[in-house]
Amino acid sequence: MTRPARGSRQRQAAVVGIHALPFSKNMGMTERNAGARAILAALRDAGLTVADVDGMFRYVWEGTTEMEMARILGVRNLRAFGEVDYGGGAGCPTLSLASLAIESGLADVVVCWRARNRSSGGRPWVSQYHATGQDQFERPYHVVRPVDGMAFHARYWIHKYGWKPELTGSVAIAIREHARRNPMAMMQRPLSMDDYLSARMIADPLRLYDCCLETDAALAMVLTTAERARDLPKIPAYVQGYGMGSGPDMTAMTFFYGDEFGSTPNRWVSPELWRNTGLTPRDIDVVQFYDAFTFQIPIAFQEYGFCGDGEAADYLASGEAPPYNTSGGGLSEAYTHGFNLLVEAVRQVRGSSTSQVPNVRHSLVTSGNVVPTGAMVFSKEPW
Amino acid sequence: MKEAVLDSAPSFPIPIADADTQPFWDACGRSELLIQRCGSCNQWLWQPRPICSRCQTPDPVWTRVSGDGLVASWTVIRPPTLPAYSGKVPFVVLLVQLDEGVRLLGYLVDDQGRLLQTDGEAEGIAMGARVSLRFHDQAGTILPSWTLAR
Repeated sequence: MTRPARGSRQRQAAVVGIHALPFSKNMGMTERNAGARAILAALRDAGLTVADVDGMFRYVWEGTTEMEMARILGVRNLRAFGEVDYGGGAGCPTLSLASLAIESGLADVVVCWRARNRSSGGRPWVSQYHATGQDQFERPYHVVRPVDGMAFHARYWIHKYGWKPELTGSVAIAIREHARRNPMAMMQRPLSMDDYLSARMIADPLRLYDCCLETDAALAMVLTTAERARDLPKIPAYVQGYGMGSGPDMTAMTFFYGDEFGSTPNRWVSPELWRNTGLTPRDIDVVQFYDAFTFQIPIAFQEYGFCGDGEAADYLASGEAPPYNTSGGGLSEAYTHGFNLLVEAVRQVRGSSTSQVPNVRHSLVTSGNVVPTGAMVFSKEPW
Repeated sequence: MKEAVLDSAPSFPIPIADADTQPFWDACGRSELLIQRCGSCNQWLWQPRPICSRCQTPDPVWTRVSGDGLVASWTVIRPPTLPAYSGKVPFVVLLVQLDEGVRLLGYLVDDQGRLLQTDGEAEGIAMGARVSLRFHDQAGTILPSWTLAR
């Protein structure tokens, strides 16, 4: 395998523990409580304890800091910690920082988690009446919901690429079918093309089933060195590599003011990911693309180079695309700013997905496009 | 206190300007659209910033523009919305590409700057349609908005 030298083989990062509490509309406990329970369960899954933990990374928009979580759990000392911004873009970058900490020797056992009562806790934008920064030019026009920003991109892609509603409908249906094989998924009802097309508009051209769920969720993941992973109970998901990117002239969700209108930051992540992993799209057996909205799937297949610019509709119709969003994703399993996608990408390497792809060697997961974001590949074999 | 909240009309998000953006909002109050242009390399810049992002020259020059442009994209806002907008939906928010090249958001309004309660179909909204600048008064906040050019 051709891969740029990055660290020693012994210190390659690997995911050795995962856990997700049951998804719901109202979990009935604080994010702090749920997050702590998810972390403890992920440590049990890894065959490790709190005493082993010496690093923590998380992402924004949940109440519990690394400091507070470490205190609650009784972590003796965090040798590496941090928080990544930009909501849905933060998932892979958070794991990338965790991997960097392990590869560099800054920490040996790193916990990442996501606990957020995004359903019972209400919609964050309903209380944001004082618009500063980029928001002052957007929120007064009711460009307040993530779907409002996405709608301008979606309209443009429809115009530029000739995408039909049936394209995004087929994405919603494919992901729903995966959810229906996953007992943990919130959406178990079948979804037909008629259901999709006749659903009400939320922000034209996005219909109801183009949009993700609103979920109370708590998930966690434990990473350690490849050397240590060999002695632990679960099949390790080795961190093959990763990339991050912001793109130029970036504004969160409204990346349409500058010269790159029509692109998402994935376009800048993609070359970093393939360079850093030493892989190409042809090496990827299964993908978890960030799916707050259906439109993010075809654009991701294009921007990560699975097909050419403008070829997503034909590519998805051809059946050549790898299986995507195999747990039901943000659209039909749970919306957790993509942490469930990270967990599912690991399951695909372990062989424990409810829509398991045979003989997975390389499992790709991406984070939210249209904000600064990242992507990561987990592999069955170490470097 | 509680009664006062109940009595008051639901509010709209309001822009909170700072020193880098105040000239823009001040100009809106005079029904003028100011966009920054670099005094050195002539690059048009949006959103407002203290430095030219192309050549790093400080203090881009606030420059009055006609506001003429075309529709680069748009959406239709529908429920669930913020309460203040509930009687106004559906309405159209445009992404307008000014003839200077930069893109801004704005409402689709009538010739007098009144917000149109529409999904845009009756008005024949389309990608590339020409639009003309108007200003919409939203509970005292003056917002650049556009009407389809005749």
